[in-house]
Amino acid sequence: MKKLSYILAALVGLSMQFAIAQTPKGSILIKNATVITVTKGTLENTDVLVQDGIIRRIDQNISAPSGVQTIDASGKYVMPGIIDAHSHVALDVVNEATAPIVAEVRMKDVVNPYEIGIYRALAGGVTVSHAMHGSANVVGGQNATLKHRWGSSNPADIIMEDAPRTIKFALGENPTRVHGRGNGIQPRSRMGVEAILRNGFSEALQYKKRWADYNAAKSQKGNTMVAPEYDERLQTLVDILDGKIIIHCHSYRADEIYMLINVARDFGIKKLVFQHTNEGFKVAPEIAEYTMGASVFADWWAYKFEVYYSTAFNAAILQKNGAITSINSDSAELIRHLYHEAAKTQRYGGMTDDEALAMITINPAKQLGIDDKVGSLEEGKQADIVIFEGHPLSSYAVPQMTFVDGVKYFDIKEDKDDQRQQVSATEMVEPIMLTEENHRCMQDTEHLFETANALFSLHNH
Amino acid sequence: MRKTLLKASVMSIMMGGFFGLQTTFGQSDPSGKKPITSTYAITNATVFANPSSEGSKATVLIKDGVIKGVGNNLTLPAEAKIIAGDSLFIYPGFIDGASNAGIIKQEPPKRPDNFVSSNPPDEIAGITPWKSAIDQFDISSSQVDDLRKMGFTLTQIIPDGGMLSGKTALVVLGEKNSTNLIKENVALNASLNGARGMYPGTTVGVMAKFRDVYKNTQLTKERQATFASNTGISRPELTPTYMGMMDVIDGKIPVIFNVENDLEVRRALSLQKELGFQLILSGLKEYDNVIDLIKSSGTRVLIQLSVPDDKAIKAQKDDANESVKAQYARVKEAYDKAIAQAAKLEKAGVAFAFTTSGAKTNDLMKSLRTMIEAGLSEKAALAALTTNPASILGVPRFAGSIETGKMANLVISTGPIFQEESQIKHVVVDGNIFDYEIKEKKKNGANGNGNGSISIVGTWDYNSQTPAGSSGGKFVISKDGSSYSGTITYQDPSGSGQATSPLKDISLSGSTLSFSFDVNAGGMNLTVSVSGDVSGNSMDGSMNITDFGSFPISATLNPTLIANK
Repeated sequence: MKKLSYILAALVGLSMQFAIAQTPKGSILIKNATVITVTKGTLENTDVLVQDGIIRRIDQNISAPSGVQTIDASGKYVMPGIIDAHSHVALDVVNEATAPIVAEVRMKDVVNPYEIGIYRALAGGVTVSHAMHGSANVVGGQNATLKHRWGSSNPADIIMEDAPRTIKFALGENPTRVHGRGNGIQPRSRMGVEAILRNGFSEALQYKKRWADYNAAKSQKGNTMVAPEYDERLQTLVDILDGKIIIHCHSYRADEIYMLINVARDFGIKKLVFQHTNEGFKVAPEIAEYTMGASVFADWWAYKFEVYYSTAFNAAILQKNGAITSINSDSAELIRHLYHEAAKTQRYGGMTDDEALAMITINPAKQLGIDDKVGSLEEGKQADIVIFEGHPLSSYAVPQMTFVDGVKYFDIKEDKDDQRQQVSATEMVEPIMLTEENHRCMQDTEHLFETANALFSLHNH
Repeated sequence: MRKTLLKASVMSIMMGGFFGLQTTFGQSDPSGKKPITSTYAITNATVFANPSSEGSKATVLIKDGVIKGVGNNLTLPAEAKIIAGDSLFIYPGFIDGASNAGIIKQEPPKRPDNFVSSNPPDEIAGITPWKSAIDQFDISSSQVDDLRKMGFTLTQIIPDGGMLSGKTALVVLGEKNSTNLIKENVALNASLNGARGMYPGTTVGVMAKFRDVYKNTQLTKERQATFASNTGISRPELTPTYMGMMDVIDGKIPVIFNVENDLEVRRALSLQKELGFQLILSGLKEYDNVIDLIKSSGTRVLIQLSVPDDKAIKAQKDDANESVKAQYARVKEAYDKAIAQAAKLEKAGVAFAFTTSGAKTNDLMKSLRTMIEAGLSEKAALAALTTNPASILGVPRFAGSIETGKMANLVISTGPIFQEESQIKHVVVDGNIFDYEIKEKKKNGANGNGNGSISIVGTWDYNSQTPAGSSGGKFVISKDGSSYSGTITYQDPSGSGQATSPLKDISLSGSTLSFSFDVNAGGMNLTVSVSGDVSGNSMDGSMNITDFGSFPISATLNPTLIANK
């Protein structure tokens, strides 16, 4: 009897799992568009057929299978959904800033599907964002890769479950300010940051060995060895060493970028992406050779000391040196027009259309480990698609419709004034953040450096 | 625990043996408070024995804290004190699924000299699963009086603290010189709130730390087992945290997770699914989007007995433009949805109970009536106050309904319990009778802002009684159009002399005047809510201070030379 109820419970639990994993998939035929595939050229007067969330055919004169709705996109541009490799949209918490290493925390735990920023991103053609932990720690938390399936109340519905694990690292002034100057512990300097990393990975190796020894002994007859302590922080570092997690590292200066490349090489870590990377142009060949590239701002700098030596040619220089290069937002505002940000690489560096658009589509997809699924318009890929009025790199470009898995989540013609999913029952005017600074890398860290705040006017990327 | 028991027994000796139910002392009761009998009969009342009951005339006989009989042909013993119940309505004593009533706020522990915020000791980081609510419980707190006055007789008390604050306990809200304890170590209280300025500081950190503590408790248990049956094993490190978690990982007691909204509900459920502990969700305020999930997961839930305040709804103006009206409509829709959640939960077939934790005690019945107006059946409302919490807390054997053999916990009111005019006249807890004054409700214009004969405009002298002694001052109310404004003076808590604050939310509803104001006490901002009944030139009521309980206040309106309409 008891056994039976166990089996039943297992069945019920299983069916619940399936129910959660089911996200909406759409079918649609987009006709007569200029199709910018990014990876396979630009095709005039072309149709894109999507069935069950997957791009089935890209061709001319496709006729719609029965039940599939047709959208006439004559004179319009169709491109892959934009991917933002650095965002903090849809997170209830950004920083667990309290320790130099917090690899154990998971941003998936605090995804908020109600946040209006998701809809605004969709209105800017962004279908995938990388919801990152903040930059207060040398090793921050594990990030969540989101698919902007707006309208669900279940966080699991907007998490891209088939995306690999990624984790946030941070070098330079943020971790040294929070922990060194704010709290009087290591790291107080860039050298301290390196020491934290090397000590952390060395400890992780010992941790891995302790568990390997225990697991080997456990199966032996008459074993009396007891289990070591469980530590998800070290286990996560072990997973990094084992190549299961991609590092995304907040960084600015060339010396610290090169430092992390060396640390990674010493520990055999190959999955590494640099974020911000304002001095990346100085070490572009090294970034190209040893890492999965850099995700940078188009032209944003001088908001603190370590970000003064910067250039708008950064992305182009990195790209020309063979580094995978993406342009990110790190901002709930910039995320709405990343296509403008990409266009800046044409003004500063002469990128071609495909090179510029790759920086907000296939390149960030590569850095997130999802380029086999999204990031370009190719048959067999997930149907994350944007329809533009005007070429996306034009100053006059306006996104018209945005699809995720073939389902339309934004249509400029059906854009209600009030798109909020949740409305307060007790406040006629809900408090809004006047400055976007409240939603960036250093959110939730304010209390840690109140004295520092009094000394400096902080700008917190 | 032991300390509390000791305190109670010392007290009972000093009081001359008022433990009267079981104990007899060879001398008279010097306090003069000992009841002459512990047998009562409430005769010929309308009895609602359980939520399904339609109410029928019966007599309820109780003796020594137990219901001895319910019916029409009871033989009443000679020692029974008769309470004529002909016009009264009797309901089972209410059960509060979880409450902070009587819980003394805990001082944050002292930080050691070598304190490092990235790796603080468990106790300082709010991880104290070994603590027990009963050690923090003060039955003589005014919060307990307030809760009992609303009909609550039994509750699960929640220890104060951080993410794992400690074990809850079941108590009756009974006499002052009893421990009132039914059971300790009932559940482990947990929340997603981080510790300020140290690890774990946020919800992500708390969830990671929860997994860490849970899994290491499991490993500690394994090590203990190996150590117990082998030689040559290193002594396992038995920390208070792991020892305090053992009953949870063994499935002996549930975790009671404090979650306010649907996202927090999902977070607690995801931890439960991953780790496999028993779970009770408590304190839910916004749960419309997870009703199906609550139903399908079979999780026990305690809904906060409160509704959103309706000030934003009431402040909506008719002459607004279209876009503002569209916003109004959304706020109204959100409000209507919020008050109808309990009804939806009932329709989904979830046997939920209420928690008063975080709710304003004075507004409990009003909130309940709002939920009933929004579709909750009276039967389900009563079940959520009686039989459902009894099942959730594992005490249906002796609590939750009026039946022979059950604990003598009763609410006795002057009319049907959910009717606005009804008042609670007696609350019986554990066989002890608590009497409440029945106030003559004045008939007044239905208009909320009191256009009737009552004027509150002018200068009032008030006096309040707090544990710190009696204090007083003035408050001045003036009327501008249809809204009131005013100020209040009081003894400055963070210095000497008088301080003044503006009055907020002044309203006159019927004859009830209410307002609130903020007091700055040593850097801490306290909100004081005052509510009282106005009769002629005087007001009697209570003053509620956040986290500290409520205290009596009385005021008189000074005659003014200028006539106020």
